[in-house]
Amino acid sequence: MSLVAEAFVTQLAAAEPWPENAALYQQLKEEQILLSDNASSLAVQAFLQMCNLPIQVICRANAEYMSPSGKVPFIHVGNQVVSELGPIVQFVKAKGHSLSDGLDEVQKAEMKAYMELVNNMLLTAELYLQWCDDVTVEEITHPRYGSPYPWPLNRILSYQKQWEVRRKMKAIGWAGKTLEQVLEDVDQCCHALSQRLGTQPYFFNKQPTELDALVFGHLFTILTTQLITDELSEKVKNYSNLTAFCRRIEQQYFEGHEKESSAIAARSSKRSLLK
Amino acid sequence: MAAPMELFCWAGGWGLPSVDPDCLAVLTYARFTGAPLKVHRVTSPWRSPSGHLPALRTRDEGTISKPQQIITHLRKQGWDLAHPVGSNRAFAPQKYNADYDLSATQSADTLAFVSLLEEKLLPVLIHTFWVDAKNYVEHTRKWYAETIPFPLNFFLPNAMHKRHLERLQLIWGDDYMEDEEKLEKELYREARECLTLLSQRLGSQKFFFGDSPASLDALVFSRLAPLLKAKLPNGKLQQHLKSLQNLCNYCTSILSLYFPWDRGDPLTDAPRAAGTDGSEAEEDPHKRRKQLLSVLVGLVAMLGYAFLSGIVSIQRGGVGPAGRQPVTLEEEEEEEEE
Repeated sequence: MSLVAEAFVTQLAAAEPWPENAALYQQLKEEQILLSDNASSLAVQAFLQMCNLPIQVICRANAEYMSPSGKVPFIHVGNQVVSELGPIVQFVKAKGHSLSDGLDEVQKAEMKAYMELVNNMLLTAELYLQWCDDVTVEEITHPRYGSPYPWPLNRILSYQKQWEVRRKMKAIGWAGKTLEQVLEDVDQCCHALSQRLGTQPYFFNKQPTELDALVFGHLFTILTTQLITDELSEKVKNYSNLTAFCRRIEQQYFEGHEKESSAIAARSSKRSLLK
Repeated sequence: MAAPMELFCWAGGWGLPSVDPDCLAVLTYARFTGAPLKVHRVTSPWRSPSGHLPALRTRDEGTISKPQQIITHLRKQGWDLAHPVGSNRAFAPQKYNADYDLSATQSADTLAFVSLLEEKLLPVLIHTFWVDAKNYVEHTRKWYAETIPFPLNFFLPNAMHKRHLERLQLIWGDDYMEDEEKLEKELYREARECLTLLSQRLGSQKFFFGDSPASLDALVFSRLAPLLKAKLPNGKLQQHLKSLQNLCNYCTSILSLYFPWDRGDPLTDAPRAAGTDGSEAEEDPHKRRKQLLSVLVGLVAMLGYAFLSGIVSIQRGGVGPAGRQPVTLEEEEEEEEE
């Protein structure tokens, strides 16, 4: 789309208010979704809750293929489809809702930098654990990823995805890392986040921003997902202010709803996943 | 104390001590901390002990090749900078760590900004120098082809180009690589935003964390300096950087403070001459050897041809003249027949 048309469409989008039937698509919660995708989805849900925008979570087995960029989650609002947290934040901003307006320039720079830190270290570590650690791949990832499909499609799809992720890991230099080094990186990242959070309720001022949503999405998922070992969640539990932060956001934004909150449901479904 | 470690890095050019961002990062960090390094500016990765550049040859731990690992090694050696630049560091015990004075929050910020640089800025930089058609052909490939010695200069730049292209394809996905406009719009915009954010974070300070440099400064400088100094034909990102005055001043001040005399010359034949004495001394025996080798090859070729075609012989005394005999016999026969 040319720049002019793009601007025109954005203008149209901005003109419409947030509809009641906005939907967020992700993979099946109980059987299919993986750690990293669940974290991303939870981050988006948290962000929309913080903006007070109603969203309905719809689970589909082929959510990954429906998404315009191939990544989950994506939201369907009016007649627009937007995927991934970054573009969703901008889309919501075009509609007039923003969490980071009150920040000054230096704080905005820091917010962007910390979001990249989470994406660079936490998300990559999650992907590494899911797709490059052989034990986890065999026992958790392969069965879950292909569960909606019949044999042999389920094996083919999981191997394809694994090969893709491993190539990417090689390109960014993570293929040579051992599990201990990856956990070490996670620890470093949590340490940095813990330092930045300190004793404040949120990362910036007294109001949550998209950084809080992203950190919550990842840390909460790590804390409440049963993997082969508890090493990953132990790394996060070492920092008490981070666990308190997750609990606070969960209580404030997810438990106050009448309908079953996706966070609690995700937690209980993951707890029962010991294979 | 310890014997100096040796660092192998790409040669300088475009007004910089080294053209490769990774090499530049390690060099700058070493300059900041004053760690004693013997620097070899080489013009091809084959000269380095590990085959990749940058490479640090240490006494105990072999050769280290990844820039982040090199910086960590320098820190671990106990090189810990407890004093700001300019004090009598030479007499202080050998401790060189540029991040020694940072508070915990500043260290956390360092990690975050490094991630920002690596995710948003570095891929676009690689694209600007190595993948963007005009820049690559007219500027990058030209410089590398002129600097790398024969015969590597025929295929090494192309191999590097392919490697970078593949890396970007894996990081960005085919979506962006095929659609030029989308790539330009979104990714370059994010890179410009990243530059603006860096500028805002730096503000009017001398370095990112006050008055003394830290490892973040080394990294930022190494990414920005090539973008600032190279004369790119297609320079949209460069123009944006030049519009951010505080970042330009930051780069020039680091260059003049820490690399006042050994910048590469922008002229093409000067880099080889402006290289350190060490590299010149290394060049000479190689040049001699190459000349000798080419003469030898020529001689062997001529002799081989001479033997094979029978013009010259040694052992079987009659081969040469015997070859002529059948000819003369035939002539005699012809004469007789006539």
